Amino acid sequence: MKTNTKILTSEFEYLECPTLAEALNCLSKYNGKAKILAGGTDLLIKMKSGLLQCQYLIFVKKIEALNYLISDKKTLRIGPMINLRSIEKNEQVKAYYSALFEAVRSMAATSVKNMATIGGNLCNGSPAADTAPPLLVYGATLKLSSMRGDRIVPVEEFFLGPSQTVLESDELLTEICLPDLGDQVGSSFLKLGRVSADIAKINVAVCLNRNGKTVGNCRIAFGSVAPTPIRIPEAEEILKGQEMSDELIVKAAKAAAGLIKPITDKRSTNSYRQQVSKVILEEGIRSAWQRAGGEL
Amino acid sequence: MEKRLIKVTINGKLRELFVKSNDLLLNVLRNDLNLMGTKYGCGIGECGACTVLLDGQTVLACLILAVTVDGQEITTIEGMGDPVQLHPLQESFIEHGAVQCGFCTPGMLLAGEALLKENPNPSEEEIREYLRGNLCRCTGYAAIVKAIKSEAKSQSADPGTLSE
Amino acid sequence: MDFQVIGKVLPRKDGIAKVCGKEPFASDIVVPHMLYAVTLRSEHAHAEIIKIDTSEAESMGAVCITPTEVPDFTYNERTVSIPEKTFCDRKVLPRRVRHVGEAIAAVAAETEELAFRAMQAIKVEYNVLPSVLDPEEAMQPEAASLYDEILLGKQQLKVKNNVACERNIVIGDPEAGFAAADYIVERDYDLPRIYHHQMETKTVVCQPEANGGITIWTTTQTIHNVRQLLGQIFELPLSKINVKKLSIGGSFGSSIQMNSMIPICVALALKARCPVKLVSSREDDIHDHVKFPARIKLKVGVTKDAKIVAADMRVLVDIGAHQINSYPLLGCMSGWYASLYKWQDFRFDGTAVYTNKVPGCAMQGYGNPEVNFAVESHMDVIANECGFDPIEFRLKNYVGIGDEFWGQGPTVKSIIKSCGVEEMLTVGAEKIGWSERRSSQAKTGRYRKGVGIARGFHTSGTGGPKPGEVIDYSSATIKINEDGTVDVLSPVMDLGGGTGEATVKVVAELLKVPYDKVELAIVDTRTTGYDVNTHATRGVYCGCGAALHVAKQVKIKLLEFASRILEENPDDLDLSYEPEDNKTIIHVKRFKQKQISIGEVAKLAQIYSWGTIAVSDSYRQRNCPPCFVAHFIEVEVDTWTGIVKVPRAILLADSGTPINPDMLEGQLIGSLSRGLGYAAYESTENDLETGKLLCGGFITDNKIPTSCEMPLMDNIQVYFAHTYEPTGPFGAKGIGEAALNSVAAAYANAIYNAIGIRFYQTPITPERILQALEGGASVEN
Ligand SMILES: Cc1cc2nc3c(=O)[nH]c(=O)nc-3n(C[C@H](O)[C@H](O)[C@H](O)COP(=O)(O)OP(=O)(O)OC[C@H]3O[C@@H](n4cnc5c(N)ncnc54)[C@H](O)[C@@H]3O)c2cc1C
Ligand code: FES
Ligand code: FES
Repeated sequence: MKTNTKILTSEFEYLECPTLAEALNCLSKYNGKAKILAGGTDLLIKMKSGLLQCQYLIFVKKIEALNYLISDKKTLRIGPMINLRSIEKNEQVKAYYSALFEAVRSMAATSVKNMATIGGNLCNGSPAADTAPPLLVYGATLKLSSMRGDRIVPVEEFFLGPSQTVLESDELLTEICLPDLGDQVGSSFLKLGRVSADIAKINVAVCLNRNGKTVGNCRIAFGSVAPTPIRIPEAEEILKGQEMSDELIVKAAKAAAGLIKPITDKRSTNSYRQQVSKVILEEGIRSAWQRAGGEL
Repeated sequence: MEKRLIKVTINGKLRELFVKSNDLLLNVLRNDLNLMGTKYGCGIGECGACTVLLDGQTVLACLILAVTVDGQEITTIEGMGDPVQLHPLQESFIEHGAVQCGFCTPGMLLAGEALLKENPNPSEEEIREYLRGNLCRCTGYAAIVKAIKSEAKSQSADPGTLSE
Repeated sequence: MDFQVIGKVLPRKDGIAKVCGKEPFASDIVVPHMLYAVTLRSEHAHAEIIKIDTSEAESMGAVCITPTEVPDFTYNERTVSIPEKTFCDRKVLPRRVRHVGEAIAAVAAETEELAFRAMQAIKVEYNVLPSVLDPEEAMQPEAASLYDEILLGKQQLKVKNNVACERNIVIGDPEAGFAAADYIVERDYDLPRIYHHQMETKTVVCQPEANGGITIWTTTQTIHNVRQLLGQIFELPLSKINVKKLSIGGSFGSSIQMNSMIPICVALALKARCPVKLVSSREDDIHDHVKFPARIKLKVGVTKDAKIVAADMRVLVDIGAHQINSYPLLGCMSGWYASLYKWQDFRFDGTAVYTNKVPGCAMQGYGNPEVNFAVESHMDVIANECGFDPIEFRLKNYVGIGDEFWGQGPTVKSIIKSCGVEEMLTVGAEKIGWSERRSSQAKTGRYRKGVGIARGFHTSGTGGPKPGEVIDYSSATIKINEDGTVDVLSPVMDLGGGTGEATVKVVAELLKVPYDKVELAIVDTRTTGYDVNTHATRGVYCGCGAALHVAKQVKIKLLEFASRILEENPDDLDLSYEPEDNKTIIHVKRFKQKQISIGEVAKLAQIYSWGTIAVSDSYRQRNCPPCFVAHFIEVEVDTWTGIVKVPRAILLADSGTPINPDMLEGQLIGSLSRGLGYAAYESTENDLETGKLLCGGFITDNKIPTSCEMPLMDNIQVYFAHTYEPTGPFGAKGIGEAALNSVAAAYANAIYNAIGIRFYQTPITPERILQALEGGASVEN
């Protein structure tokens, strides 16, 4: 066996960048040879288990200018260096962004969340990343910056496959932006793991708007059922513009379950994932609807 | 590899340390500073045996590069109390039989203390949630939860015993 | 019974050091100028090593050892059986690897980083051999074989069809018994390999001494067996090997043997001629040992009036690549089975099979949780099929007072003299509301609750009226200091369960000394007599038994010295405790005014040069009383997701006099969490192609229960039966392993009661539950 989790055996040059400009500069200078270190709760494990090596490590977590959570009027802007625990404890998030709050609450445990950043959760590119489904259903956009300039990418286009994203090797995720979600909105997140502190066997997020008794806009996203977190537009369409009812929920959830093609891995089996996808999605729609002020 | 100078306040004392870029905080504490109360249990963030407080928040020393804590403050179990003057939570652990083999104990105590600072009167569910990243194979957790709960009670009953 | 310290809740002796992070564990030991070691472990499940090239590693400044540089000695890591019954197949470093993760070479260097890089620079040429990973396949004639020959004691022994050892026991005439039965119920059970998951990974530090000897600090349950085995392997006189007694960060059986990394570290230290420290990484540790798995076929015959008349159990244990005492394991499994119920006429056939997997070893219960799961599930199956009440059926057939108990298999037998089974089942039934229990058919809806019961026991030690195949005795040294305080030197390892406190309490009670005036000395193999092991739930019964035996002699000595001073007959004197001045006095019986404190006696003995009041002796318990347990567990099954919660658990124990009630409770609740892990979460499986562990060595994919998986505090009720074991120290028996044994069966029985589906295999995961529910799995009744 070629690992030893007691130590970090790989050697690299450490570069601490307290400002964004320095970080972008370093990334450009060592393009391809450098890795970004934020909370390290994914990166250091990959390095310890020999999955990843680099010549330079650029430490960005102390960039204060990227550590924020601002809600102005109806949008929410999140600095990627904010740690998960701060998001969990933020009153604004708890009150208005239930899916994100529930996702963060479900993740790991306190100490990991004190270290881990939301930016790292996304950029790590795991199909099970818990903050991804909520951001997908909120229609969030990501700002990716480099010396070459900034670009805005919808979360939906960000993930390419396990550990793969559209990030170029000189780019840094510099902001996560949640748009105005509109009125009468409700969202939810559910997750099943092996024990209470675990990566998801499967997770789901729902965000919908209510027009009286009918569903307005609606988004549904699953994690851990495909190579990337995914939206299920077909199920969304079943709900949109329809009068809400138990039958409708069951119909949408059933359709979604039929569309996903999960695999069997260390955490669960494909058939289990398929079966419970229905159950958690039904529950997710129900609680999102209720949070939007709807009745059932 | 080249070493770098970092300045860290450890258990209230400012230390100047030379560390390599790939030195883990866990090993610097244990090997360079002889603070053996911080334990290695898994090295990948799953067990909580290496829990320390970084600027008052619990973190895992097995997943932190020592170079990154320059300028920060660290509390290990040795800084929580000592045999002559135990921290009330340490006393509570002894009193409630929360210690068996004792290997998870330092991490549990630091997590418990951080919780009580954040939330002086947590419910049992809140305690369990907070501790879910600290594994204990011996006790089944009940005595640990009890020790923290009872300390929370005595703190809220008597503000005089509030620590610090 | 009215005791002064026994049964009182008192702070554990190592508590302050442990809460301050100051208690030294083996992994905390630092010796000046020591090197750090790492092992090179096999990537293959089965391969011959053709060549190992360490030249590059050595050029980096590392010290390396390979199979040719260590003593060529064949051993069994666990030495508790008499030598003629010990099967040996292991080398310090093998020339042929038999499982992924087996150590083949080791490296020491100034830093762990350097040692690791040097290890990576070692080149190994393998000749990969076909491997065998399934125990049943392993017994087929065409299967690859792991060994041609092993040793039984000093005799060569041929291995056929990978069968490591067997045990076949027949009592009476089972065929006739089955012929007389009204019902015959037969089922197969399957228990997985799981990882001990003790929090401290296995560790050893070895310091070569100037006199040619070595000093060892290591994670172990037995300092003396470590010393003796090292003496044999390295041909060193025992007087030159000293193994230190230390706290251990949990064990659960993982260090019941002399771990194979210990001689590796010794060989490195002897070659490097300086101290070497070897701390397993977690991934190395997972590749070292697992709990013995078991496939069990059980057939039981009963009559219409609920009397058992015959039984037949076939057990197949996939022991992995080495025998870590699988022969006594099979003996014990036969004993656990034979001593649960009065089967009348019965058979036991046990087979242990080699496969190319991580070796199995004892883990809390040594085969008992496996056997218990089968038998206690089976009792429920029979009760259901034949329409008996599960509790009454058990009470009608259990092995209890006056019956013969097979503690550790057919060679260790004794008569049961204390038994709380009936009390526990009655009290437990009342507490859980057994009479309101409804059958699963009466339950509907998404969430369904169920209640299950299972009972079990474990032996307390492996003593018996006649010494069997298992060594069992312990030792102690007790000394009265000149101020009336007491030093106790005990070789018995405390694995965290409070054996140390129990020893102190027993001594304090007998000598009427307050608890805080008795201390446990820091000891090692040099300063203590032999103790076999903290295993077999023997710490209190046997370890404290020895302390009591010695304390009685100290008392005689004290009274004799006092009689000289007081000019009285020793027979007319007695000890008592004076709370007002916190003193222990010796006084004339019924005339307390004539007295002297024990401190003064010790001081005068010194002044008069009579000598120190100290005794050192060994003691063997001549019984192995069972400590009984019962578990009543309530589950709530979410039939849509298969997720199970445990809203309530009632844990009942008959451990004789509870010496440390708080620690006893801690043992029961700790075992509940490990039992729930065994029942619902844990399984350490291999990839059946490569033989690699599916978790890859990382606990990320080897989950154990966290604080949130346990029932809330108020929903766990603990109850101690009111029993007194006449042969135990102040009436005490053990508890350690018993506490776990019936958890998994109670859980499975509760699930059956909730949803009407019987699980014959653990872990009972949500995936398995949902599959069974969807597939309309054989719903009994
Ligand atoms: C015990 C444990 C439990 C966990 N449980 C969960 C869980 O329940 N759910 C879950 O989703 N995850 C879980 N994780 C994974 C991990 O904690 C999260 O993914 C975390 O959010 C990662 O953030 P980080 O700051 O630690 O990232 P890092 O490890 O620092 O970085 C992760 C990756 O993202 C890159 N990166 C980081 N920030 C940026 C940026 N701003 N721009 C570009 N690239 C960047 C890094 O180069 C690296 O490749 C767990 C981890 C552990 C150790
Ligand atoms: S050692 Fe750090 S979490 Fe396990
Ligand atoms: S007391 Fe042993 S791991 Fe918690």
